[in-house]
Amino acid sequence: MFRRLPAITAAALLAAALAACGGGEPAGSASAGSDGPVTITMWTRAATQAQSQRLVDAYNATHKNQVKLTVIPTDNYQPRIAAAAGAKQLPDIFASDVVFVPNYTSQGLFLDITDRIAKLPFKDSLAPSHMRLGTYEGRQYTLPHTLDLSVWFWNKDLYKKAGLDPEKGPTTLKEFAEQATTIQEKLGKDGKVHGTFFGGNCGGCYVFTFWPSVWAAGGEVLNEDGTQSLVDKPPMTDVFAIYRELYEKGITGPTTKEEQGPTWTGFFPKGEIGVMPMPSTTLGSMPADMKIGVAPIAGPDGGESTFVGGDSIGISATSQHPDEAWDFLAWTVSDEAQIEVVAKNKDVVARTDLADNKYSSADPRVVLINSLVAKGRTPYALKFGQTFNDPQGPWLRLAREAVFGDPSKLPSLNESVNQSLQQ
Amino acid sequence: MTGMAQLTTAARTGRGRRAPARPGTLRALAGMAYAAPTAVIVLTLFLAPLVLVVVMSLHRWPLLGAPTFNFPANYTKIVHDPLFPGAVVFTLKYTAIITVLLSALALGLALLVQERRPGVGFFRTAYFLPGAVGFAAAALLFYGMLNNDVGPFGFLGVKWTGTPNMALASTIVLVLWRFAGFNMLILLTGLQSIPVEVYEAARTDGASRWQVFTRITLPLLRPTIALMLILSITGSLLAFDQFFIFTNGGPDNSTVSMVMVIYRNAFFKFDLGGAAAISVVLLVVLVALNTLQLKVLR
Amino acid sequence: MRYYSSRSALAVLFLFPLLWSGWSSLRGQDGGFTFGNYAQMARFGEGLPRYFGNSLLVSVLTVAGTVVVSALGGYAFARFRFPGKNLLFLATLAILMVPYATILIPLYVLLGYVGLQNSLVGLALVFVMFQLPFATYMMRNSFEAVPRELEEAAMVDGCGSLRALIGILLPAVRPGLITVALFAFLASWNDFFAPLILLNDGASFPLPVAVVSMTQKTFGAIDYGMLQAGVMVMAVPCLLLFLVLQRYYVRGFMSGALRG
Repeated sequence: MFRRLPAITAAALLAAALAACGGGEPAGSASAGSDGPVTITMWTRAATQAQSQRLVDAYNATHKNQVKLTVIPTDNYQPRIAAAAGAKQLPDIFASDVVFVPNYTSQGLFLDITDRIAKLPFKDSLAPSHMRLGTYEGRQYTLPHTLDLSVWFWNKDLYKKAGLDPEKGPTTLKEFAEQATTIQEKLGKDGKVHGTFFGGNCGGCYVFTFWPSVWAAGGEVLNEDGTQSLVDKPPMTDVFAIYRELYEKGITGPTTKEEQGPTWTGFFPKGEIGVMPMPSTTLGSMPADMKIGVAPIAGPDGGESTFVGGDSIGISATSQHPDEAWDFLAWTVSDEAQIEVVAKNKDVVARTDLADNKYSSADPRVVLINSLVAKGRTPYALKFGQTFNDPQGPWLRLAREAVFGDPSKLPSLNESVNQSLQQ
Repeated sequence: MTGMAQLTTAARTGRGRRAPARPGTLRALAGMAYAAPTAVIVLTLFLAPLVLVVVMSLHRWPLLGAPTFNFPANYTKIVHDPLFPGAVVFTLKYTAIITVLLSALALGLALLVQERRPGVGFFRTAYFLPGAVGFAAAALLFYGMLNNDVGPFGFLGVKWTGTPNMALASTIVLVLWRFAGFNMLILLTGLQSIPVEVYEAARTDGASRWQVFTRITLPLLRPTIALMLILSITGSLLAFDQFFIFTNGGPDNSTVSMVMVIYRNAFFKFDLGGAAAISVVLLVVLVALNTLQLKVLR
Repeated sequence: MRYYSSRSALAVLFLFPLLWSGWSSLRGQDGGFTFGNYAQMARFGEGLPRYFGNSLLVSVLTVAGTVVVSALGGYAFARFRFPGKNLLFLATLAILMVPYATILIPLYVLLGYVGLQNSLVGLALVFVMFQLPFATYMMRNSFEAVPRELEEAAMVDGCGSLRALIGILLPAVRPGLITVALFAFLASWNDFFAPLILLNDGASFPLPVAVVSMTQKTFGAIDYGMLQAGVMVMAVPCLLLFLVLQRYYVRGFMSGALRG
C-alpha cells in the first residue's frame, strides 16, 4: 500500500494536468480473450537480433498469431528490462543473455513453464547448459533461443605462410601458444600480422574465451551454486599465465590490453591474426575466400570444452497471453524451426539430437560446433552480470591484474569477487 | 479581462486605504496564470517522481513484488559501496578541471568572435557546430575517432583511453569540443547586451584593453558567467554519457562517475532502493551547492 | 591577417571530427568508397524513414511545448509578483540537479498510470520538463532585458497583460525564443536514454536508439562505418537547422532587439 500511495497521488495529479491537453494515445495493447489473431510482443538484444528475426519471420509467415519483435541496444538491455519490470511493462516474451537468466528467474520476472516443457517430446535434448541456467529452485522458466559458442579459429593461409601445417590446429592451450608464437615470429615483422588476440579490457570476453580452457583441464571456476569463485587457483591461474606470457612476448595484437569488446572479433576476418578464440556465430560472416580452421577450446595440456553462450527465452510473469506466447516458444525449438530456420543459416541448433542434420553435414566445422553444445558449459551464478560482465565489476580487475599486472593480488581480488557473488 | 476589471473596481471601492495592493492582487493572479503551465509540469513530471524516488530510497524495492521498509539501510550502506567513494573523488576532480578549462575556452572563443567582421559568422558557426551533435553521438564519434584501429590517429600509437590519465584527458577533449561552443554562445549573449557606449566611454577615458576587460567586461558579464558556471558544475557533477559511452569507466575503474554508480546499482544490480538513496544524497548536495553559488555570484 | 589565421586554425580543430565522421561513414569494410553503410541502415528494422519520422514528431512536440510553457513562465517570473514565485522558480531550476537515470523509472511508472507510457506524446512531455530549467531561465532573462516602458506604454493604451505579451513583448524576445526552440530541438532529437527507457515498442523508437541497435553486433562488436553513418544521420539535420536558423538568430542579436 505504502508503495502505491504516492504513485497514485502523483498519477492523479498528472491525469488532472493532462486532461486539458486533449489526451494522448490510448494505453496498452488490445485486450486478451477475443478470437482474432493475437499480437505477441517480444524483446531481444541487438547482438542476437538477426537470429531472432529469422525465427519470428518464419513463425509469422505460417501462423495466425503474430510476434512483434523489438530490438534493444545490447549494452542497455538489462536497464531496459529492469525499468520495464519496475513499471510492470514487460513484453509477453523476452530473450536474455543466458548468463543473466538466473538473476531474472530469482527476481520472478519469468513465468514458470515447467509443465509445458515436460510435454515436449524432445525435452531431454534441449541444450543442457541453457536448461540448467533456466532452472530455479527446481522449476523451469526458459528455453534455449540462440546459441553462440566459443571456439578457436585459425587462419590457414597464415599457417601455410609461416610454415605450419594449415590442417592441424591447436589441441592444447600450449600448442595454441606455440602456433601463435610461430606466426608472430615468421610474419609479424611488418606489424600487420599478430600471433593472437583477446579482449583485454572486457570482462565478458575473458569469461567466454578463457574459462573453457579451465573446464577442458577438468577444473572449475565457480562452485556449484555460483557463490564461491575459484579463479585464484589452478587451472585458472595456469591459463592466465599462458596468456600473460603471450602478451609479454608481444605476440598479441597491439590493442589487446585496451580492447573493451567492440572490436575484438574484427581483427581475425581482416587476416591479421593467426589463431584466437572467437564466437561460433561469426563463422557465417567471415570473408568467403578466407580459409578458416575451427577447433574446440582446450586446456593447457588437452581436453576440449566451450562456453555455451547466446540467449535463452521465456514468457514474462506479467504476460496476458501466456498460451499464445508458449505456442511460439515451443515452435522455435521444433524440428521444423531448428532445421529449416536455424541450421539452414549455419547457426548452432538448440537441440543435441539435431546436431547432425542435412544442412550441417555440408560443413564439418558446423557439425563440430553443434557437437560441442553437449560438452560445453554455461556458468551459473545469480549475480553473474554484475560480477563478471559489468566493466565496473570485480572480475575485470582481477583478470587484468592476472594478465597484465601483478598476479600476487589475485587472492585479495578474489575476495571481492566472492563478495559480489554473495551479495 | 472585463471580469477582472470589475473585480478590481469592486475591491477599490471596498477598501480604499489599501488601494496600492489591489492592482497587485490582480497582477498576482495574472502572474499565477502565466506560471501555471510551468507549475503543472514541475509538479507532475518532476516533483511527483522525485517523491517516489525518496520513497524508494526508504525501501528494499524489488523489480516485481512488494517493497519492504528498511530505512536507513540504503543510506548507511552508501559508504560501503565498493565504487562510490572513489567515484566521489573522481567526479570532484573532473568537475574542477572541466569547469576551469571550459570557462576559459568559452570566454576566449566568445571574445574572439564578438566583433562584427566579415566571416565572423563562419567562425561562430564552426565553434558551435559540435554543440548541434548529440552528446551520446559525440561520445560515439570520439569512440571511433580515438580508436587506433579505425581512427585517423592510429599512426601516433598513443593509447587514448589506455591509462587513467589519458582516458581522463581524452574525455576532457571530447567535452570541450562538444560544449565550448554552447558556453561561448551563452557568453556572447551576455557580451552583446553590454551597451557599446560603455566601451566607447572607457576608450575615450584612455583605458587599456586589459582594463576594459577586467573593469567592464567581466563585471558586466557576471550574471552570464554565473549561469555558465552553474550549468557546468551541475552538469559535471552529474556526468554520465561521456564516461559511460566513451571510457566505460575504465581503465580499471579509474573514470567511474557518481551517476555511473547510481546507474550500475539501479540497472545492473537491480538495487533500486540503494540507487535512489544515492540520488537523494546527490540532489541535496547539489541544491545546497547551487544555493551557495547563487548567493556568492549574485 | 592575424585575425583570420588564429580563428581559422581553431575552426579546423572544431570541424575536424565532424569531417572525419562524415568521411569514414562513406568507407566500406575494404576501405573503398561506398554508400553501403547508409543503405544497410535504411533497411534496418522498420526502415530509416520511420525512425526519422518518430524523431521529428517528438522534437516538434517538444519544441512547441517548451516554447509555450517557458514563454508564459518566463514572462510571469520576469514581470509579476505572486505567492510561491521564488519557490516555483527554484523548483524549476532544481530539475537540472537530478540524476537523469534515477528519475526515469518513477516517470515511467507515472506515465503508465495515465496511459502515456510507450507514447511519443509522453516522451515529449518528459523532454519539455527536462528543458524547462534552461528555457525558463533564458526567457525570464530575455523578458527582464526588455524595457518596462515598452510594456507600460501598451498597458496605458488599455492593453491587458496578455495582449502586451503577444503584441509587444514576444517580438522583442524573439532571439530568446529561437534559442529556446533550437536547444529544445537539439536535446529531444539527440536524446538516447529517455526513449530507451520510456518506449516499449521498437516501431516508435527515435533515431538514436535505432542507430545504436543497428551498429551493435555479436559480443559487443561494433560496426564502426555504420556507427559513423548513424552519427551523421543524427547530426546532419541538427547542423542544417542550426545553419538555417543562425541567420535569424544572429540578426536577432545584432538588430538590437535586446538593447531596445
